[in-house]
Amino acid sequence: MNVAFFVTCLADHYFAEAAADAVRLLRHLGCEVTFPANQTCCGQPAHNAGRGREAVRMAHHTLGVFRNADAVVLPSGSCAAMVRKTYPGIAGERIAEADALAAKVFELGEFIVRRLGVTRLGSGLTGRRVAIHQGCHALRELRLEAEPDTLLGGAGAEVVPWEAREECCGFGGLFSVKMPEVSTAMADRKLDTLPDVDWVVSGDGGCLLQLEGRSRARGQEVEFLHLATALWRGVADGPRDGSGWQRPEGHRHAG
Amino acid sequence: MRIRSNEYRKRSREIIRGDPAVREAVTGATLAFDRNRKQAYEEVDADAWRRWAEGVKNHVLTHLDDYLAEAEAKLEANGARVHWAADAQEAREIVTTLAEKASVKSIVKGKSMLTEEIGLNSALESVGIRVCETDLGEYILQLLDEPPSHILGPAIHKSLGEVRRLFADRLGTSSEDSPNALAHAARRELRDAFVDADMGISGANFVVAETGTVVLIENEGNIRLATSLPRVHVALAGIEKLLPRMSDVAGFLQLTARAGTGQPTGCFVSLIQGPAAQPGDDGPEEVHVVFVDNGRTAVLEHEHAWEALRCVRCGACLNVCPVYRQTGGHAYGWVYSGPIGSVLDPGLLGLREAMPLPFASTLCGACTDACPVRIPIPELLLRWRQEAQEQGLAPKAEGLALAALAGVASRPALYRLAGSVASRLGATGAGRALPVLREWSGDRAAPQPSRPTFRRLWRDGIE
Amino acid sequence: MKGKSRARDAPGLKGAAAEPRGTQGELGASESPGSAGHSSRHRVLARISRAVARREKRAHPGQLQTPQPPDPVVGFARRFSDSGGRVVTANRERHRGEWLTTFMKGLNLGATVGVAVGTDVPPEMRPNMPEAPPDRAAAGVVLAWGAIAETGSLILEPGGGRAVQLLPPVLFIWVPVGRILGRMEDALLELQTRLPATVALHSGPSKSADIGRTVVTGVHGPGRCIAVLDRTPSSLTPLRALSVRTEAYQHR
Repeated sequence: MNVAFFVTCLADHYFAEAAADAVRLLRHLGCEVTFPANQTCCGQPAHNAGRGREAVRMAHHTLGVFRNADAVVLPSGSCAAMVRKTYPGIAGERIAEADALAAKVFELGEFIVRRLGVTRLGSGLTGRRVAIHQGCHALRELRLEAEPDTLLGGAGAEVVPWEAREECCGFGGLFSVKMPEVSTAMADRKLDTLPDVDWVVSGDGGCLLQLEGRSRARGQEVEFLHLATALWRGVADGPRDGSGWQRPEGHRHAG
Repeated sequence: MRIRSNEYRKRSREIIRGDPAVREAVTGATLAFDRNRKQAYEEVDADAWRRWAEGVKNHVLTHLDDYLAEAEAKLEANGARVHWAADAQEAREIVTTLAEKASVKSIVKGKSMLTEEIGLNSALESVGIRVCETDLGEYILQLLDEPPSHILGPAIHKSLGEVRRLFADRLGTSSEDSPNALAHAARRELRDAFVDADMGISGANFVVAETGTVVLIENEGNIRLATSLPRVHVALAGIEKLLPRMSDVAGFLQLTARAGTGQPTGCFVSLIQGPAAQPGDDGPEEVHVVFVDNGRTAVLEHEHAWEALRCVRCGACLNVCPVYRQTGGHAYGWVYSGPIGSVLDPGLLGLREAMPLPFASTLCGACTDACPVRIPIPELLLRWRQEAQEQGLAPKAEGLALAALAGVASRPALYRLAGSVASRLGATGAGRALPVLREWSGDRAAPQPSRPTFRRLWRDGIE
Repeated sequence: MKGKSRARDAPGLKGAAAEPRGTQGELGASESPGSAGHSSRHRVLARISRAVARREKRAHPGQLQTPQPPDPVVGFARRFSDSGGRVVTANRERHRGEWLTTFMKGLNLGATVGVAVGTDVPPEMRPNMPEAPPDRAAAGVVLAWGAIAETGSLILEPGGGRAVQLLPPVLFIWVPVGRILGRMEDALLELQTRLPATVALHSGPSKSADIGRTVVTGVHGPGRCIAVLDRTPSSLTPLRALSVRTEAYQHR
């Protein structure tokens, strides 16, 4: 399957390696990955700030960029939700294009589980204790509730229950700047309830920046990983049964 | 009530930094409410109930003039008197005049957000009438001279220790007393107030047009007492509180209770048609219903915000909101706080007065999933944000930055250039493409930008 | 935004084509004590009519189909107990008043203070105990018009006195089992035919969690509520008409 990769601003600049891991995963699963070079920002920051006109400009640009793709995959639930849920409402006369794009856009984990039908990726996470923070838009707009558990658990990780799992981390883009005390207090609620884990995994970079930034300021020792990286480690590290590092087993799924 | 919404940032900071007990108390209480709500939703076909309730309210709001006229006619036929208040001042005047005409000396009140909204207590007190809040939470706040912090649990921001100290000081209870002992001390005080009162004042959860019925939901019994013992009962109802028919009450009572506290219904529900049947029966001789506009018609006229008038004031959106939980209601600076306040207040008060409440949200969407009448709160927040931008009420610099981002982002070559320049400049520079992250302070470690960027990795080839 | 279809309205509800009623002047002639009252009525309604005229009408979705509890008596007892009430069944073989007397005495309520009894409780259902006014009584005894299984609610009408339903710390409520309905909607529809001045639904004791998030009972209303199921044959038929307003009263 041909997949156009939509990296998103945040991943491009702050999670470049995770984005690369997403590409590795997709290739590992047999996808032909392209990266349309003229892609920019999905427009969500402008939309959420109430800058409707600017958001529409960015949406229209993005519609053109991915017009010919078979499937578009983003390493971000939030930006995927913007494209799928918001574009059709703001695209104006380009609604048909927006609907077409909405139908073929996926968050990474969603694409693997729902589109490719893959639930087991390697087994290299055996023995890892992970907590999952699902970004709010992935959770409540895309309704991706079980996908990260399925994939991380499928790779052998122990997904540890987290009381505040479904609560917002307090990032909210501009919100984290406009209301810094509230935003930080929200991160504290997440971190105060965090169980003893090796990794906190999320499919959204914004949430990871927020939680990791706060956790480092508090001196809390836990590793924050993008879902793409955690899953790629599961594939690339192979079984942790003492046999050591293994190459990925090749293309398990042809898409 | 004085409007202090513009101070949201300052007050939220003060509460979080200066009074951490508030955050702890509010978080604990709302998490408990929300757990109960979730469980209560699971016991029924909550999605179907919520869609039904949304439908009934939309029907009412698109036929509101008819239903108000019908309710008025039915109430009058039942022997109740109906009054209309266009704004807060008029509502205060109506109630004050009613009280003076009936030579009222002492009033007992049931919890009513509307009376908070119009600042009724101080108006009545200014003409020498004693006003006693009888809901236990409201009673605590009246002793402290504080506004409510939550629609359902007005004093949820108060810890047991604070109430102990307050009651020890004011009611002479022991500083070690249990909640039960404290509640009973308040019961004794308030029992006298009920017996002495000439007038009872309540809000109205619903008003049934078909039968002319004021519906009141509660758990303590104070509203039943306040509407039964004094000789005059005044119910203040927002004009949006109508339900078409009595059979609709069944769904709304159950859904509101499940959404608010997780109960199958409130412990006490009063259906009030009018004054006592016969002279000599107990029950009020006079029942008055005041329909209050006070900004609601402006919300009704609004292209999008009218959907917020479906609100049944259950508090579910507050309970589930991670933003509200950090501060409680006081930070929002007006009577309706939390998610619903952030969409309702701009409509009721005007956007300028309510700024920056539409921005006091991460748009996480938990509120909409909890709302029993499916108010699309994040969508409405975005509408208000858009209006704030159009009216120049949002910070200029931020708008310019986003406009610049849009300009750059719709020109790929420029976007790439900006990105690569930014990445070479390091953490601060990278913020230029992502204006948000530049401003994080020491409470959060600065994010480390990727070097090289993904674009560069892709160009060089990803193994 | 949503619900674009213009479904036909349910009977008796405001139709999509209904014209706003313009002439309510004489009906709503209650001049408010506030000087601007009447003009405010006009202004508010006119503004609503304008707002409503611009918006597409939405149809009423009809009735909410909540499930019928399989056994209303069992359902009521469970719900009422869940919310902190107690449910007992009077011994069918005995005189009900005598049974209640024995039962109440067994609870050691400090009955020397006396009990308050609703004026509509028939003689054969009244306890044989000294009576006291509601604000001083150790317990109250009232008669429910009916009950609702779905919500565990007692339906109390004002005929027997409201104070006795609210003021004593312990309340005994006679519940004729034949009058326990499954669904709240059905109960309200039945009530609706002849509504008294007020109807109260009591679903357990008075409660509050306003202090330290601890649930306490008996804050204002009764702290203990005991529903006494009456299974005698007479309980299976409707008891009596509700005490409705007289015509004369309505036009006073």
